[in-house]
Amino acid sequence: MELRINQKTYQVDADADTPLLWVIRDDLGLTGTKYGCGLAQCGACSVLVDGNVVRSCVTPVAGVVGREVTTIEAIEDDEVGKRVVATWVEYQVAQCGYCQSGQVVAATALLKHTPAPSDAQIEAAMINLCRCGTYNAIHSAMQALAKPESA
Amino acid sequence: MNNPRFARTAGWLLLACLVAAGVLAWYVTRQPATPFAQESTASADPALVSRGEYVARLSDCVACHSLAGKAPFSGGLEMATPLGNIHATNITPDRDAGIGTYSLADFDRAVRHGVAPGGKRLYPAMPYPSYAKLSDDDIRALYAFFMHGVQPDKQANIPSDIPWPLNLRWPIALWNGVFAPTAPYAAKPNQDAVWNRGAYIVQGPGHCGSCHTPRGLAFNEKALDESGAPYLAGGLLDGWYAPSLRQDHNTGLGRWSEAHIVQFLKTGRNQHAVVYGSMTEAFNNSTQFMTDDDLAAIARYLKSLPGDPQRDGPPWQYVAADTRQDIPGAHTYATRCAACHGSDGKGQPEWMPPLAGATSALAKENASAINITLNGSQRIVAAGVPDAYRMPAFREQLSDTQIAEVLTYVRSTWGNHADAVDAKAVGKLRGHTDPASASPIILQMR
Repeated sequence: MELRINQKTYQVDADADTPLLWVIRDDLGLTGTKYGCGLAQCGACSVLVDGNVVRSCVTPVAGVVGREVTTIEAIEDDEVGKRVVATWVEYQVAQCGYCQSGQVVAATALLKHTPAPSDAQIEAAMINLCRCGTYNAIHSAMQALAKPESA
Repeated sequence: MNNPRFARTAGWLLLACLVAAGVLAWYVTRQPATPFAQESTASADPALVSRGEYVARLSDCVACHSLAGKAPFSGGLEMATPLGNIHATNITPDRDAGIGTYSLADFDRAVRHGVAPGGKRLYPAMPYPSYAKLSDDDIRALYAFFMHGVQPDKQANIPSDIPWPLNLRWPIALWNGVFAPTAPYAAKPNQDAVWNRGAYIVQGPGHCGSCHTPRGLAFNEKALDESGAPYLAGGLLDGWYAPSLRQDHNTGLGRWSEAHIVQFLKTGRNQHAVVYGSMTEAFNNSTQFMTDDDLAAIARYLKSLPGDPQRDGPPWQYVAADTRQDIPGAHTYATRCAACHGSDGKGQPEWMPPLAGATSALAKENASAINITLNGSQRIVAAGVPDAYRMPAFREQLSDTQIAEVLTYVRSTWGNHADAVDAKAVGKLRGHTDPASASPIILQMR
C-alpha cells in the first residue's frame, strides 16, 4: 500500500491491521516516534494524521492510506510545530525525553485547532504521560505558546 | 358445629383441593414426552460425533458450561439471577459428576424441555425455551458428541445459593407451561430452504433471543419467533443492551447488507461495528465457527424481520460535527476517544468502530455505551489470532460526570440523536460492574 508520511510517498508491504507505529519505526526507520504502552494510553506514539493527533500504536496502517501523516521528524516543517519545538527548547522541557516527541505532536495538534487555548483546554488536551514528571515545564511552555502575542 | 350441610360442603371442597393438588403434583414432576424413549446407547459414529460438535458450536454450550483454565464443559460459570447465584453444571460424560449416566431420552428432556432425570426442573438460565426448537437429528448428534467427543471430568457441581423456599424447582414447571415451546422448529412452507435454515439457527441453537429479545415480568422472552413484534427487537441484560436485529435503521440491522452480517459473525467486525460486551464471547466461541452457508442463512432470515420506525425514531444521517471545543464532553472526546474513533466519529473501519451512527449512540438504552467506556472490551480472538486493538477501560481515568458528558457528546454529535447520559446512571453501572461490589454482574467479570 501507499503511504504519505512527512510529504513523502512510501510503498509499504504490511498487513492491513498492522499498527502504524510498527510501520513507521520498523519498516521506514523513522524512530523518533516512540513505543510506550501500546494501548493508546500514554501518548508516546502520537503522530499527526491530517492535522489531528493520533496514537499510532493503535492505528491500523490501512486506516491512514490516502491521508497525510506527520511524525516528529518533520514537525518543524509546520509553522506551529516549529514554534512548539522552539518554546520547548526555551523552557528546557525535556528531561529523559522519551515521551517528548509525543508531547510536541500533541501540543502542535492543539495549537493548530485552537491557537490561543485556555488553561482548561491545555489541561484537557495535554494528557500524554511523562515518567520524569515534566508536567510543570510542559504547562509553562504551553502557557507561553497560548499567549496571543506569540501567535 | 354439627351442621351436616357444612360438613358435606367442606368435604367436597377438601376433595376438590386434594384433586387439584394431585393434578398439580403430577404436572410439575411429570417427565416430558421424548421421541427417544427406545434409544438408550449413544452411537460413536465419528461423523455423528463431529456433527454433534458443530451443533454444540451453534448452541454455544461452552460459553456457560466451561471456565477458562478448567476442563471443557466441566461447568462452573456463576450467573446472577434475581433470586441468587446459580452455577452452570458439569456436562462432561463423567458418571458421577457429569451426565455420563444420561440416556438419550434423559439428555433430550434436559436440553429441549429443561427437565433433569428424576423430574427436577432446570432454571431457564439454560436456554431450553430456545433449544426446544432443535431437531431430533441435532439432539441425537449432540448427545453422541457429549458422550464420545468430550473428556469426562470429575469437577463437582456447585449448589446454588438461592434460599428456601425460593429454591423449590417445581414452580418452574408452571412457568414452562406458559412460556416454553414444546415442539421442534417446523419449516415454513412459504419460505425457501435458506430462510428456514436461518430461522432454525437463530431461534433454536443460536438462542439469539436470549439477549436480543426484550423480557417480560416473569423474565420470559416476549416472543420466540418472527410472529411476535418484540422478537429480537433489542433487550437489556446483564448491564449490556443487545441491540435490535430487525430492520430498524438506527438501532437494528437496517443499514447492514446480508454480506455485512456474514462478515460480522465470521470475523467479529465490519464497517458498522465490532463485537463487544457479551457478543465477544458469542463470537469467540460460536459464530466464527459456523459454516458460510449457515451464516448466509442467518443473514437472510434476519434481513426478513421488519423494523419499527415508531420505536426506532427518525433515520440517522451523518452530519459533520461542530468543531467547538467548549461543549461539555468535547475535550474528553478529543483527548481520550478521537485517537481511535476519529475526530469525525467515523473510526477506522473495520478495526475501530465508528461512533457516528453506532447503535449504542442512537438507542434509548445507554447501558452498553456506559459499560464499554467504564470497562473496555474483551479480547476478540478470530481464527486463533487475538485482536490488535481493544477498547481500553476508563474506569480509573474518568469520573462519572466526565463519562456522562463525553457519552452525551457522542450521542448528540454527527447526526446521532439519543438522550443525554446522566452521571447517576454511570455511577450505578460502575458499582454493578465493580469486581469488589456485592452484586457484580458475573458474566462480565471473566
